[in-house]
Amino acid sequence: MDHSKFNVLGKATQRKDSVAKVTGSERYSIDIQLPRMIYGRILSSPYAHARIKGVDVQDAEAMGAVCITFDDIPHVRYNERIITIPSVLHKDHFILADKVRRMAEAVAAVAAETEALAEKAVRAIKVEYEPLPVLIDPFQAMQSGAEPIYDTILWGEEEIQVENNIACSRQVEEGDVDQAFAEADVIVEGTFKTPKIYHAQMEPKSVVCRPESDGGLTIWPTTQSIHNVRILLGEIFNIPLSKVNVKRVPIGGTFGSSIQMNSVIPICAALALKARRPVKLTLTREEDMHDHTRYGTWIALKLAAKKDGTLLGAKMELVADIGAHNIQPYSFLGVCVGWLVSLYKLPNVRYRGTAVYTNKAPSCAMQGFGNPQVTFAAETLMDELAEKLGTDSLELRLKNYIGLGDTFWGQGPLVRSIVQSDGVPELLRQGAEIIDWENRPKPGSQSGRFRRGVGLARGFHTSSAGAPQPGDVIDFSGAMVKVNQDGSVDVITALMDHGGGTLDALAKIAAEALCVPLEKVNLAPAETRSTVYDCVTHATRGVYAGGGAVLKAAEGVRQELLETAAHYLNVMPDALTLKLDKQQSQGVVYAPSIPEKRMTISEIATRCWTESWKTIATVESYRPVNCPPAYVTVFVEVEVDTWTGEVRTKRAAMGSDCGTVINPDMAVGQLEGGLSKGMGYALCECNQWEPDGQIASRGYWVDAKTPAIGETPYVQDIHSYFADSYEPSGPFGAKGIGEAATNPVAAAYANAVYNAINIRFYELPITPEVILKAVEEKGQSK
Amino acid sequence: MPEFDLLMPQTLPEALEMLGDRAPDLTPLAGGTNVIVYMREDRHRYKMLMDLTRLNELHGVRREDGHLVLGSATTIAELLTDPLIAEHGALLRQAAAVFASPLVRNRATVGGNLVDASPAADTAPPLLVMNAEVELASQKGVRRVPMDEFMVGVNETLRQPEELLVSIRWPLPATRSAGGFSKIGLRKGAVCSVVSAAVMVEKDEDGLCQSARIALGAVATRPIRAYAAEEILVGQPLKPQIIDLAGQLSAETVKPIDDIRGSADYRRRMVEVLVRRLLSRAAQEIVPRE
Repeated sequence: MDHSKFNVLGKATQRKDSVAKVTGSERYSIDIQLPRMIYGRILSSPYAHARIKGVDVQDAEAMGAVCITFDDIPHVRYNERIITIPSVLHKDHFILADKVRRMAEAVAAVAAETEALAEKAVRAIKVEYEPLPVLIDPFQAMQSGAEPIYDTILWGEEEIQVENNIACSRQVEEGDVDQAFAEADVIVEGTFKTPKIYHAQMEPKSVVCRPESDGGLTIWPTTQSIHNVRILLGEIFNIPLSKVNVKRVPIGGTFGSSIQMNSVIPICAALALKARRPVKLTLTREEDMHDHTRYGTWIALKLAAKKDGTLLGAKMELVADIGAHNIQPYSFLGVCVGWLVSLYKLPNVRYRGTAVYTNKAPSCAMQGFGNPQVTFAAETLMDELAEKLGTDSLELRLKNYIGLGDTFWGQGPLVRSIVQSDGVPELLRQGAEIIDWENRPKPGSQSGRFRRGVGLARGFHTSSAGAPQPGDVIDFSGAMVKVNQDGSVDVITALMDHGGGTLDALAKIAAEALCVPLEKVNLAPAETRSTVYDCVTHATRGVYAGGGAVLKAAEGVRQELLETAAHYLNVMPDALTLKLDKQQSQGVVYAPSIPEKRMTISEIATRCWTESWKTIATVESYRPVNCPPAYVTVFVEVEVDTWTGEVRTKRAAMGSDCGTVINPDMAVGQLEGGLSKGMGYALCECNQWEPDGQIASRGYWVDAKTPAIGETPYVQDIHSYFADSYEPSGPFGAKGIGEAATNPVAAAYANAVYNAINIRFYELPITPEVILKAVEEKGQSK
Repeated sequence: MPEFDLLMPQTLPEALEMLGDRAPDLTPLAGGTNVIVYMREDRHRYKMLMDLTRLNELHGVRREDGHLVLGSATTIAELLTDPLIAEHGALLRQAAAVFASPLVRNRATVGGNLVDASPAADTAPPLLVMNAEVELASQKGVRRVPMDEFMVGVNETLRQPEELLVSIRWPLPATRSAGGFSKIGLRKGAVCSVVSAAVMVEKDEDGLCQSARIALGAVATRPIRAYAAEEILVGQPLKPQIIDLAGQLSAETVKPIDDIRGSADYRRRMVEVLVRRLLSRAAQEIVPRE
């Protein structure tokens, strides 16, 4: 769209935190130092599944360490992720293990004067374990007679039995699926397997907790939601929320891994309360790699279509390996069918999702929350369907995609809205031109060592989990905007910025709404006691929902500015308007018909102050009543080396419909980052587990298989572009981008590899070794 | 990390005396990129460590009697900037460039890499094909051991507890020779080798292969030479057919294992690819007779 009418939106602007970040002066949780602070360490279980027969902390205490064991903590079961409403929340987790269910689970913890003493003390704790059979395969875990990982868990407030290690399941049926498949001319199907990969966020999980003299707590955590951390700590430790203050601290990347309250936070709180001193607790990288992963899935998908390419329906069975704890697989199972039916028009759908406990790292949200997994399956099958029908897969996608005017429920069955902005045709056409889609190789047409392939996949993510009705997902934001005495503006929000520049977008939205230069908008430090609730930065909602809240508050401020100026100027408020005076470099309220009736925002604010009247400020909550899809299409060109099995990225065209682009530089960065992370998921990353439940990499980067800069496609080979699009329900027409950028990438790579060597892969990652073996089996190695 | 005593000798004789008195309870510590990891994960308990970083005798690169002599405490990062290494140890420089990560390269030493004796030690294949020897010093004197004998198994060498690896030496490469090092990892940077290979070939005046040496890492209990493949090259023109055969014979020599980084089968196949690629490149690099 035309950005010229905006003052700051659509223009590349420097991030407000950029100098602090590049000079190293930004202070993350791990940098927080408090007077009298001591250091915590956790005792990690050396078994993946074991009963704890006894814990002896005598020697550790003799060294002067403060120790906590299961006996010292509140015996409250909780779910560390509280995005779902309480009545459908599964709770299986205590602060410290009642029984060990995964490798490196915290059994006890210590705090001591120095890190070295804490380490020494934690090693002095004696634990007697009774090892139990370890379950690392979800299908074995589901078999009758398999060792139960849990006996009971809580479902809301009700205690329920866990049968066959199944944590929860969900079924959805819409339309007449049997008839759709009976009427189908073509059916395509496949069983897809995706790995549990590590988030590989740069910052190790850390927290500082300070006990207060009133019995409360102040917390500096790594988190995506300060308010949810506060609510959980209040509930677990039975402290009024007014006495629990959680500070917003910059995050060194999360990729979803801090969507839940991190495991270290309540442990550190318990240590601080017992020690009566501030405590810092940081996970080592090895501990962190055992602490969380993406959901591993098995997806059996069938698509039914007519001869003309019209999709009729789908059947999907999904099994999720959730690891040792329930971090809301119930909502994961719900959104997974949402991703499918919101990608293409599938009026008839039958779905069963099953979430299974194993003795592995707990699965939690990671960039897309099931969307990359489902899109890998769906977009592979769309390619196969096009081939079966003898049609261009791009045209098949255009014919069936969910677009303008269609019902959309990406975030699950209860989160429905209508698509109001749709750049998909533009994204597909433009990307096809950039990558020369028409002239891509024919599968099976190449021989020789190096083979070129072009792949396409499209996808989306929801901007927030908003909907007209409340539903079972909590989603709303809040913001406060106030005008300072000199006319500068403070934006105060509990929203977290994971590093992508979300808070900068909010500052730009406030600057645009109030006609104030961006440098006069300040992002105020935030903490729970002085901000209104914001649920969590996830679901690609930061700009759309968090920005929506800031816009709503800014509009209130704008109205008050007009009314206040009207009072001083003796002009009707409705006769006044606000504009940016570029010469004065500030906002001006004026009456277009009476030019001398004008006041700068600074003049208004100064008078309000010196005449002892008021601060112009507004606080608002904002519930998005829509959930617009942020569309992305990915075209990627690869070269497969049939001698080594290596896949090189030659070129990529990353197209995004994120509505109004707030900051083009950072939006391009999101697309490049999405490609990079998706490429790792497609081609290299895989956590493997030993039969005893140990991660094969033992938590070391060297074998963690996360791609590094050497694998990342060159920036000059990535062509990023944006659809001309405006989302009516978004702030200044904006919607999200982050997770959308990575969701289709793995599918695009799989399709590109197929195009190059004529072999389909249904399991990620598609490693050199896997490719080489497949090429050999097909007898095409020479 | 468990507690330990740290000795900090200032000279080589002092260090050898400490070793002589306290071995085998005293373990030499150079960059610590292996030892510290082993300690943290409780794989080894060390009673006493001896810091080698202050011993000037273990630093520096020099030419001596037609050989290049490299102090064992030379870091991997130093290999990348030393002009003598650039001239007479190009293969070692190639290995250094892809050795672990820049942070590790700043700490890790060549001597430490060899004494740790990982089958995947990246400095070993280049030193094997350059016919290097290691010098081991003790209070009793100095002895030289050929590279191909020094490493005997996983984390096992011929170094006696009272000995210190002080230097590594190899004959300056001949004029009509060329070689290379290459490795395959799970990614390009910050990785252990899944397979590594080094080759060195020398042509005679007629352009025939006068000598060939091939070394392979991460495919046996120690870095090994592929003697059978080397032999068939000697006296032959380095043409694709014979290079292919050398690749195949190299693959037959190895005894790899399946692990997190790759299967035995994949490793065997990559040996063939790497040897073929390195030999072809080396054969082209040697300037033919005018």
